[in-house]
Amino acid sequence: MGIGGVIAETGELVVGYRNRKRIFTVMKGISLQARRGELVALIGRNGTGKSTLLRTLVGLQPPLGGKIMLDGRALHDTGSSELPRIVSYVSTEPVAVRNIRVRDVVALGRFPYTNWIGTQTVADNEAVAAALEATGMTLLAERRIDSISDGERQRTLIARSLAQDTGLLVMDEPTAFLDLPSRYGIVSLLRSLTREKGKCVIYSTHDLDTAINEADRIWLMTEDGVSDGAPEDLMLRGILASAFESPMLSFRVNDGTFSFVRSRQSTIALEGRGKAAKLTARALARCGYTTGPDARLTVKVSEGSHGQEWSVTDGMTDRRYSSLYDLVANLPDNDQSD
Amino acid sequence: MKAGVTRLMVSMTGLFLLLMILFMADLFIGSTRMAAADVIRALFSHGTPGDEIIVMQFRLPKALTAILAGAAMSVSGLLMQTLFRNPLAGPDVLGVSSGAGLGVALTLLALTPLFTLPEGSLLAGWGLILAAWAGAGAVMVIIMAVSARMRDIMTVLIVGLLLASAISALVSLMQYFSNETMLRTYVIWTMGNLGNISYPQIRALAIATAAGLAIAFTMVKPLNAMLMGETFSRTVGVRMQRTRIILLASASILAGSVTAFCGPLAFIGVAVPHIARLLFGTTDHRILMPATALTGAVLLLVSDLISVLPGGGHIIPVNTVTSLIGIPVVLWIILGKTGLGRRF
Repeated sequence: MGIGGVIAETGELVVGYRNRKRIFTVMKGISLQARRGELVALIGRNGTGKSTLLRTLVGLQPPLGGKIMLDGRALHDTGSSELPRIVSYVSTEPVAVRNIRVRDVVALGRFPYTNWIGTQTVADNEAVAAALEATGMTLLAERRIDSISDGERQRTLIARSLAQDTGLLVMDEPTAFLDLPSRYGIVSLLRSLTREKGKCVIYSTHDLDTAINEADRIWLMTEDGVSDGAPEDLMLRGILASAFESPMLSFRVNDGTFSFVRSRQSTIALEGRGKAAKLTARALARCGYTTGPDARLTVKVSEGSHGQEWSVTDGMTDRRYSSLYDLVANLPDNDQSD
Repeated sequence: MKAGVTRLMVSMTGLFLLLMILFMADLFIGSTRMAAADVIRALFSHGTPGDEIIVMQFRLPKALTAILAGAAMSVSGLLMQTLFRNPLAGPDVLGVSSGAGLGVALTLLALTPLFTLPEGSLLAGWGLILAAWAGAGAVMVIIMAVSARMRDIMTVLIVGLLLASAISALVSLMQYFSNETMLRTYVIWTMGNLGNISYPQIRALAIATAAGLAIAFTMVKPLNAMLMGETFSRTVGVRMQRTRIILLASASILAGSVTAFCGPLAFIGVAVPHIARLLFGTTDHRILMPATALTGAVLLLVSDLISVLPGGGHIIPVNTVTSLIGIPVVLWIILGKTGLGRRF
């Protein structure tokens, strides 16, 4: 399924909080767009208002200004019984109930369609089964929510959102607190929902790697405003780098990753080939060495009789190591060298 | 699916049969020994006047009250637990029973002497109920306001405890200024008593309980959504403000009416929903609500039977029995392996 029509759009939106005494604006001038079949990652540093924007987008809190269009209709013109059929939302709120089956949680997604007592019709059961299938939760459907892993629990909530049968799915940090494989699992699931079911999924995340590699579109929030575009657009414009770069962190445009800035830099010569040499360069970089010619020290990577071997020479003495750990641990402190 | 439905039918039917058996037992067993035949004759108005008084004026109303009060208090507790997302919520724990008690105390200790109303007047029936509703509702609104600000379960429980203490201090003050007869009536009321209730009062209690349960049952769908949290409920279209008001009203009607006539029944409201969850293995309010009502009725009948079993004309207050049954359940919730606030 290709990318379809616009399903969510904001124009000069102002988000924030209002109480009797005062108005607290979190972000203004938000003009963004998302289409059907798109995976949209909302990124930005802590406190820039990602959650506030998402909550405003799904109608949980009123905007302070501007407009929101969902599925071609203004949000404020959409009734409280119609909105749940257009947009579903997964918040960061943990599931407090323990004694509930996965299937029953997913079935709650049918809330907008069932009668006053919540009777599940054949169509409802089919929607629940399809949602369980799409999220890979079918085999765990009868398990209790407290007997599955965090990643599976998140899949359950995504299945519930899917069972709600909306074109737009909004999720606040669905990968928070998950380990690396689960994080990738969740994001690739979200991506597959956009590809196979034509959904538009908007999710906020701190996981820049997966956002840049998987999302079709990035909504980037910084203190100065909001940017919208393909990950590479934002990289090209240098916005992504400036949003997250700090004296500690530098952005590598080529592979789209961040790395720590090492304050101590000195050069070391490296001889060797293949994977071992690459990893040696990486270990040296981690310890503040750049590799290049004309260095006082030379590291040689070779295949010894007992496997991989490293030797360090400064022209006079020659030391040998059998692991990278030993190598870097015995390198001279490069503050004193050179 | 099929096995689940069968299990449900068996559990429900079993519980209902148990209720019937206990109801009969409550008629046949009492603090005065009576032959079964005499009880049956008395039930069909063919017994001796003495037997008829014991069965028709004492045992039957008491058994009926146990059923109504057990169901009402338990469902009230269930509503509060889901509404406040707090497994330890219940009419007595959150001070709602105390609130109802304040209404009763005002009626019994302050208003009655002022207006010197005749015995069995409106004030003794619906008047008492209305006062209890108002008191229960007032405490509910305070607890609701607190729990909207404070997400922490413990904070809300402590506020409930403080409210209960404040109310009992107020009531003590009223007791100090009231006469002996009034005081005696009030003290007996606080012990929790299923027996001291007249047929007009039972009718009022039955109507109030039926209304409260009916209102509660119309809310099973939003109650189920509320298990997933307020944010989820709102995004699937639950109108929270309206839902909260209806649930508060229903829980106040149920707990208030019972408290008005039977006194503050301890621990039934907190404990029974958990027993029902355990028995039926579900969190679905469509099943849980009738299950809780039945379990509550059964448990109060059992408590009542235990309270008259010592024999020889002695009856221990029913509150003592419900506490002894309820407290272990509450302890189990607090000390359970998943800890407080995690077990629903």
